[in-house]
Amino acid sequence: MKPAGLRARVTGGFTVGALLLSASMAVVSYQLIRTSLLDERERASVRAAYFNATVVRSGLSAADPDVAEMLRSLETGGDRRTVVRWDGSWYARTADQGITEAIPAGVQDLVAGGTPAVQRVRVDGHPAVVVAVPLTPSAAFYEIDSLRELDQTFRTLALVLASVAIMVACGGAALGWYATRYVLRPLTSVARAAEDIAAGKVKTRLDPAAEPDLARLTTSFNRMVDELAERLERDRRFAADVSHELRSPLQTLSAAISVLAARREHLDTRTAAAAELITDEVNRFQKLVQDLLELARGDQPAARSGVDVAELARRVCRGRGVDEDIVDTDGATGTVWYVDRRRVEQILANLVENAARYGGGATAIRLSRAPGHHVLEVDDSGPGVSPQDKKAIFHRFVRGRAANARHGDGTGLGLAIVAQHAAAHGGRACVLDRPGGGARFRVELPEDTP
Amino acid sequence: MTAVLVIEDDDRIRLSLVLALEAEGYEARGAATAEEGLALQRRDAADAVLVDLMLPGIDGFECIRELRRDDDVPILVVSARDDTHDVVAALEAGADDYVVKPVAIPELSARLRALRRRLRASVPAIPRYVFGDLEIRPDAGEVSVGGEPVALTRTEFRLLCELAEHAGRILSRQQLLQRVWDYDGGDERLVDVHVGRLRQKIEKDSAQPQHLVTVRGMGYKLQR
Repeated sequence: MKPAGLRARVTGGFTVGALLLSASMAVVSYQLIRTSLLDERERASVRAAYFNATVVRSGLSAADPDVAEMLRSLETGGDRRTVVRWDGSWYARTADQGITEAIPAGVQDLVAGGTPAVQRVRVDGHPAVVVAVPLTPSAAFYEIDSLRELDQTFRTLALVLASVAIMVACGGAALGWYATRYVLRPLTSVARAAEDIAAGKVKTRLDPAAEPDLARLTTSFNRMVDELAERLERDRRFAADVSHELRSPLQTLSAAISVLAARREHLDTRTAAAAELITDEVNRFQKLVQDLLELARGDQPAARSGVDVAELARRVCRGRGVDEDIVDTDGATGTVWYVDRRRVEQILANLVENAARYGGGATAIRLSRAPGHHVLEVDDSGPGVSPQDKKAIFHRFVRGRAANARHGDGTGLGLAIVAQHAAAHGGRACVLDRPGGGARFRVELPEDTP
Repeated sequence: MTAVLVIEDDDRIRLSLVLALEAEGYEARGAATAEEGLALQRRDAADAVLVDLMLPGIDGFECIRELRRDDDVPILVVSARDDTHDVVAALEAGADDYVVKPVAIPELSARLRALRRRLRASVPAIPRYVFGDLEIRPDAGEVSVGGEPVALTRTEFRLLCELAEHAGRILSRQQLLQRVWDYDGGDERLVDVHVGRLRQKIEKDSAQPQHLVTVRGMGYKLQR
């Protein structure tokens, strides 16, 4: 599984932290508020109950009191219900009949023993508080105060606190996302610089003053790029020196063998044969050096321009004594491709020469189009390429099984150069079996526009 | 017989080139430094000059500029350096063509013949082309801008005549290489640099050419 990104993790951390903090704050506040409100309410209930109890007690001391009528006259409001137990009977207002069941037995026992009591109970599914006040040894006053409204308040409070907790958590997430953007912004500039360097702009450097907190990163980044640039420059100089040192003696050899060739008739047979050997080897060596230098500088980007590839293919054929009618453009929508002329010419030349050397000569050069790609194919009618060689022949100095000592004039680099030139365009080269026998070399170059 | 001057500091390369060119039927002479080559050329002008770029003392680029200052002798650079930078700098200094070492002698000979052919190339039958303030007289080998005569090398002159002959039509770089340089396929930088040099001589503002315009992705054309 892909690990979550730094940004996601930081944001997640912020969210969880904010949620924990706000939730615990909410729970604590809820508890505190609830306790204090309940206590307050309980005290109020007790005060009211004692007041009512006093009224009832004085009423009971009169002769033949009407308890129900007395209870009705009490100031109780909508939430309080009052009950009196006198001489083993319950007295209540008509509306409050049946409430006696809500009075716990423990409370009745306590009151019977002469001790006042307060207890919380549930009546009809709602919380309530029972206040019991002993009046005389044979009478007790009970007041049941419904906490329904308070309960409603608690629900609303819980809802508000929960919403606040969720909002704080969301705020935490937003803060985390926002903060990481600022934290990561300097890293974005590092990433951009690295991309620039990869794209070849080796002069790109970071400004160490721009982000003091990242000074170490920027200085070590810059030092790394300096070293990289220096090494690239050293390599480039080395390649240029090697190139020069190899080309110069080759120029002398090339000129000298042309003198030998021009004076062949003045040489005796044995000398002429030796001169011929030298000529062949110098030509091969020259080709080898050119191919090696080509490969050495192959990492340069393709220099694209509009190129008539069909015309280029015909010219490659003309230059190598191949019939130019083998160039087939039926599958192409247009033959002017936006490619690197030098590289494509070399691809064509190397494939045609490869076909001549190992495949009995090219039988077709086909230009066509695949989705998003230009396709260039060179067919031959030779023995083809064995499956195990199909990849390897594009490697340097690898010759397929078809190549033997007879074909000693190749450098073994031609197809490697083809593959490299294709890659420089962002394309690829491969070899297929030609229907009917022989090999089909295929080069795909991504379409591009000026 | 065609005389060729070889300015090359490497003794072995110079000697082998002189021998090979002589075997091809040229009258070749060598010079180890630019100073010696310039002195030789002033005393007894050769018909073509081969120049190496890395020379002790006066370097190849400066040597080309000096040669060009004197006359329009065909100059062919033979260098081991093949960076675009060097190729363009040498052509801008005034060289007509550029080959990279090692060059096969038949190839070198073909380039020299092409350069020489350009000198003798038959000029179009039309005696005079006028493009606004630009006037070309192919038969007289004269070009003037606003009545002032302009000195062109032969390659530049051939290039201008070719474009004038096809005035208003686009010529691709490959077509120009074929018609002016006589090459079947070649380095298109040759065309670009020569067009640039030509513009500096015939245009009022070479960055915004009025006559010799680039048609993007196609080639060049000369217009009124």
